[in-house]
Amino acid sequence: MEGLRNDGRRWNELRRIHCQLSTSSTNADGSSYIEQGFTKVLCNVTGPAEPSSRQKVKQDAATVTCEVYFAAFSGTDRIKRGRNDKKVQELQTAIQKTFASVILTHLFSRSEITISIHILSQDGGTLAACINATTLALIDAGIPLKDYVCACTSGQSTSIFDNEGSTPDPWLDVNYLEESDIPSLTVATVGETEKIVALSMENKVRIEMLEGMIAVGISGCAKVKGIMDAEVRRYGKTRLEAATGE
Amino acid sequence: MTSIKRMLVDPSSNDSITSKVYIRSAKSGKVTKIVREIYLRTDIPCSSRLCRACLANAPVDSNNRSRPFVLSEKPAGTTQYKHGHYLMPDTNIFLQCMDAIEHKSAFYDVIVLQTVLDEVKNQSLPLYNRLVSLTKADEKRFYVFHNEFRQETHVKRGQEESINDRNDRAIRVACKWYQKHIEQAAASSSATAPAIVMLTNDKANLAKAKSEGLNSTDLNGYVKGLKNADELLDMISSSLQDLEKKANRGANVYAEYFSLPKMNTGVRNGTLHQGTFHTSTYNSLEGTVGVPSFDKHLLIVGLENMNRAIDGDQVVVELLPQDQWKKQSDKLVDQDTLTKNENADVDEVEAIVTERERRALIDEAKRIQRSQDESQKVQPTAKIVGVLKRNWRSYVGHIDPNSVNRAKSGGQQVVFFRPLDKKIPRIRVFTRQATQLLGQRIVVNIDTWDRTSRFPVGHFVRALGELESKEAETEALLLEYDVQYRPFPKAVLDCLPSEGHDWIVPEKGTSGWEKRVDLRDLLVCSIDPPGCQDIDDALHARLLPNGNYEAGVHIADVSHFVKPNNAMDDEAASRGTTVYLVDKRIDMLPPLLGTDLCSLKPYVERYAFSVIWEMTPDAKIVNTKFTKSVIKSREAFAYKAAQMRIDDKSQTDPLTEGMRILLMLSKKLKQARMDAGALNLASPEVKIHMESETSDPASIEVKELLETNSLVEEFMLCANISVARKIYEAFPQTAMLRRHGAPPATNFDDLRSQLRARKGLDLRVESSKALADSLDGCVDPQEAYFNTLVRIIATRCMLPAEYFSSGTQAYPEFRHYGLATDIYTHFTSPIRRYADLAAHRQLAAAIEYEALDETLYNKNKMDAVVKNINIRHRNAQFAGRASIEYYVGQALKNKSTEQEGFVAKIFSNGFVVFVPKFGIEGTIKVETAKTYDADEYILELEDGRKVVLFDKVKVMVNVVKEQATGRRKTELTLA
Amino acid sequence: MPKEPEISLAEKTFVLEALKQNLRVDGRNIHSFRDIQFSFGDDYGFVDVRLGKTRVLARISAEIIRPRPDRPFEGTFTISTEMGPMASPSFEVGRPTDLDNTLSRLLEKSIRRSTALDLESLCIVTAQRVWSLRADLHFLSHDGNLIDTACIATITALAHFRLPVVTVSGEDITIHPVTERVPVPLSLLHWPICVTFSFFGEDDDGEMVCVLDATAQEEALREGDMTVTVNKNGEVCQISKSGGVAVEAETLMKCARKAAEKVKGIDKLIASALRGDEIARNKGNLDWLKEGRSENER
Repeated sequence: MEGLRNDGRRWNELRRIHCQLSTSSTNADGSSYIEQGFTKVLCNVTGPAEPSSRQKVKQDAATVTCEVYFAAFSGTDRIKRGRNDKKVQELQTAIQKTFASVILTHLFSRSEITISIHILSQDGGTLAACINATTLALIDAGIPLKDYVCACTSGQSTSIFDNEGSTPDPWLDVNYLEESDIPSLTVATVGETEKIVALSMENKVRIEMLEGMIAVGISGCAKVKGIMDAEVRRYGKTRLEAATGE
Repeated sequence: MTSIKRMLVDPSSNDSITSKVYIRSAKSGKVTKIVREIYLRTDIPCSSRLCRACLANAPVDSNNRSRPFVLSEKPAGTTQYKHGHYLMPDTNIFLQCMDAIEHKSAFYDVIVLQTVLDEVKNQSLPLYNRLVSLTKADEKRFYVFHNEFRQETHVKRGQEESINDRNDRAIRVACKWYQKHIEQAAASSSATAPAIVMLTNDKANLAKAKSEGLNSTDLNGYVKGLKNADELLDMISSSLQDLEKKANRGANVYAEYFSLPKMNTGVRNGTLHQGTFHTSTYNSLEGTVGVPSFDKHLLIVGLENMNRAIDGDQVVVELLPQDQWKKQSDKLVDQDTLTKNENADVDEVEAIVTERERRALIDEAKRIQRSQDESQKVQPTAKIVGVLKRNWRSYVGHIDPNSVNRAKSGGQQVVFFRPLDKKIPRIRVFTRQATQLLGQRIVVNIDTWDRTSRFPVGHFVRALGELESKEAETEALLLEYDVQYRPFPKAVLDCLPSEGHDWIVPEKGTSGWEKRVDLRDLLVCSIDPPGCQDIDDALHARLLPNGNYEAGVHIADVSHFVKPNNAMDDEAASRGTTVYLVDKRIDMLPPLLGTDLCSLKPYVERYAFSVIWEMTPDAKIVNTKFTKSVIKSREAFAYKAAQMRIDDKSQTDPLTEGMRILLMLSKKLKQARMDAGALNLASPEVKIHMESETSDPASIEVKELLETNSLVEEFMLCANISVARKIYEAFPQTAMLRRHGAPPATNFDDLRSQLRARKGLDLRVESSKALADSLDGCVDPQEAYFNTLVRIIATRCMLPAEYFSSGTQAYPEFRHYGLATDIYTHFTSPIRRYADLAAHRQLAAAIEYEALDETLYNKNKMDAVVKNINIRHRNAQFAGRASIEYYVGQALKNKSTEQEGFVAKIFSNGFVVFVPKFGIEGTIKVETAKTYDADEYILELEDGRKVVLFDKVKVMVNVVKEQATGRRKTELTLA
Repeated sequence: MPKEPEISLAEKTFVLEALKQNLRVDGRNIHSFRDIQFSFGDDYGFVDVRLGKTRVLARISAEIIRPRPDRPFEGTFTISTEMGPMASPSFEVGRPTDLDNTLSRLLEKSIRRSTALDLESLCIVTAQRVWSLRADLHFLSHDGNLIDTACIATITALAHFRLPVVTVSGEDITIHPVTERVPVPLSLLHWPICVTFSFFGEDDDGEMVCVLDATAQEEALREGDMTVTVNKNGEVCQISKSGGVAVEAETLMKCARKAAEKVKGIDKLIASALRGDEIARNKGNLDWLKEGRSENER
């Protein structure tokens, strides 16, 4: 109503994004932490390493495995999602497939790259945050990627409060409340190419609306990329300074 | 390595983000803490046309447009605020005085704060929806200001601060900001700044506002400064009264039901009574229960006493003390006005009886005390203490749009369902598809009605289609009257003759002809409404050599095809009757039988069941013969065609001559019947012409009756009476008969005193003959229609005719009051009535054609059959009438006309008008009547006009969409 | 886990090169489906769908259960998939593969989440009795495009299924046998149909090659895929593309529109198959549809 969303944003505004690299010093080759609004995700990457099982050995490429853990306290209701939960598995498959096509896996034949993601808090856009965190963690681990993979959500607001007859606004970066009320999708692009590597939508929406949603989503991806890139550079700089300062 | 902690971000954006924490507790007792982000901003415009700064800064949407500013440059002033003002009401102002705020004369340029809007939404969804539509309408200039999102006006709740205090503070902060902002804006364009006036009735808030130097006032104070203060003050004071009384509301749960043993003992020793509960058609707060030990119905007044019973429930009641006995209400009360602003979704225990309802009852009680002297009108009252059997079924209706939160598209919500049947309370429905179901005709079942819930709770069953669409409305009325319209199942179709449409009467002498008489030579014909496909009956007549006449009625031999106790018979028995709607027919029997094999179509041989009389030229019956037969109808006439043929003197063929004989005899039969005291009653029947191509109703006309209508009718009556005597003689205990009880004289009390008071006429009701004669005398020389009006009203005082099995009544009770005959049955329409089929079987057994099936001489089974067909018969009539009503509504759509009407009933706050031209009647409610003379039946309206019972009035007939049912209905208003 | 036999390099090159010229090994256009064949069982809700050599069996069954306490006014609907070695040697009994998971989630999202089946209409008495529907899918033969076939089979079976009539009066529930009351179809609000695109990189003109209804061989060679679920009203119910080759947004939009167009045809095929079965079912010496009707023109 009146062009404002339930948290005070306008249609084309992202939520606050805060990201960090190298958050876990001990067990991971690369790690990251990202907050998009109240969605908080922690990601660790290990590898390339010896595959954990023989089935995962590929002769010409590295295998990408992904494990997702939902913290029981991450949602409003305390739910423990088990390993066999279909949603968890779907999320794992989506992330794994997305990155298998972006990591230069042919450089690491007969090895395994493991992505493990902890979702600490959910407030909409979980998949997008997971993808963004993974990109950062992979960069931190120094695993070669074609480019950044950046993801963002967008939603299609309903026209109820708009009486001018125009198409209602698409909304960028939906939060949990919006996600449960309006149709929304997650889109992930590679670098600045605007090419889509992953796209996922679970709600019913008219096909005419789709284009606007995707367009807004892609513009969001570009913004996210800018923020992530800035953080990578800032962090790189501090590391460099630390290294040269020694 | 860094640890996970908040990195320093751009400090400017840091304080623009805050979060809202709140605790949600669900009904189940689960408590969840919810944290949400809020992004504070500085680009939310004030929307005043005075302000240039905000305009420059106005945000745009995805189509690159910004919203026009709402608040006018020069808002209206009052005595208090001479330079114009913007209003900023608090939540309670909207909650309590929405009617006044919607008023055209005042309340322009209103700033609705987000804080306030949210609170209104939580308190009452209907009021919220009204408020939102105000903000969307341009003329009132309501602007929603998102104060919670604007950096300067966002307020954080203090440590010890209550939510209400915080919200009050938020309003004051917003008010202060606006004041300053507008002053600046005005200064920059060198205009005088309008005042920002905070409206609140909260004294503490008012005091604080004053001390902070804000313009603030309470509603009364504000309104006094307006031009038409008096009218608005009235509206306000009545809504404030509600509020005061709300504080001391009483019991908020329904009484617990008695245990079953307690009820049983109570009923047995006479302290409690058992009966069926009926809600009053005119007053949703009143109902009646008929119990064996009282002559008068027991009155149940108020929801508390109704105690969750729904129309048709089997209940147990306890009598209230005699000093609480009451007169039946003469006031119109409908639940819509009572429950207009209620929320469907309430978590806490609510008051069962709202203040509005309580007031309606108290008003009532006061008025009754005044007229206490009419003690004979006082009825015993009772309260319901238990429900033995629920009459819950599927209800058809629609979702109340006001109870729906439209912004919420996906999640579950609770909405109000309004049944078409006004006697049924609203039903709370939990659904995830509320927005999709808006504007749909839907079916809902009731599941429970808890003591703590004001309304029953139900669930969505299915959607029938869009409101007002022919398909949806037709299915709706079929469901509403429990008409089985589904296709015939396989088991039924398996009972049909395997030859299908190729079935013919077998050759003479073969099987099927046993005990059947060959009447193919008789010149038989049928006379029916035009286009009739299911021809039940055909007739013939001829002169006998002895100078007497032979007349025959031939009825389709359905019992030949429908054998007892097979699937088809069961189906027919449960359907009971064919139902006729305006444009369609819901068959009792599969159409193969109804419109082909049984139907007495012309030019083909058909099996029939014939009744043949020998009559003297005076139409005295000399001899009656019943036989199964084979006939061949020579012609199928429509009433009009038959009439023309008879009237055409040039036609002298034997068939026409036969019809002339029939007509002659029928006139004599009718005269004899009238002499015996048969009633000539009137019911407002209209006919709807359909446009053939679109099948939309085109015009309405009052049904025309021809001599041939009466010809057929007389012979059918005659056949029915003859058959009734025969089957009663054969089966004195279980004959399928039809009776029409003499109405108790008290039924006519109202009409008699009305006639006496208004016209000085006397209606005698001691016998049907006396009634028939005195009805003839009820004429008003000035008004020809008056007689018909009285007949219509008199018809409504009658008891309904009913089927019964002869063993359940004593012989004198067999009488058919309306037809003035001692015995009667239905025999002549076996294709469309199950009772006739039963009579056919009994008659066939009586003439030793075949053995009688056990169901038809077993008393218990007969009772069950009779009970069902009585219900079906009644429902079929209701469904037919509802169908006509729907089509009349469609035909008159968008055509507002002035018509003549007659006042048929009068209440202290309204009256019922009957419009003969369309056969419709409607209630006109009068909000404020000057006087009501209950003895003279005169209601004086505020403008001095008098509405007098039986008098002619000019009314505007409009078709409106009725809020309560979503149906298009004719609405009458005084012209 | 037995792996599927690898495709020889020569064959691989041949197929891919052909596709770059928009040619397919089986001679089809890149946007055409194989023939869809339906055969219905004697019972309502039993259908066998064949798409070329891919074959999926769907069966709907219903029982009355107590509803979930958090959704007392809704019936339930579950889709269960059974992928055994019968369909393809690479499937193992009792060990769900990635395909298995993807497939059941996709069907779930396409049919359940898009509220194709109105669960509220399955409620008999709130918190007491609801219908529980179950779709069992059996994969009899796998020659590519299992997802689309499974979706078509499920929707056809749901549309074919008939629920016994239940009447509730007061507190009594009566379930009418099929012979006594004609059973009623489910309240299917729309027919969501999955259309899967397989991507094979850019062709000579620099356009992405998007193939519909890929065979098993094509699936093994594709660089990426995307499933779009649409109904004939042009409502997109679900889109999922995870990973694979990155594709321009405009190409994806083209795919979505193509899917919407394809679905209209498939929708018609399903409807005519259902009508054909209805007629075949009612064959006898009487026209059942006509004679059974009790609502008739006056």
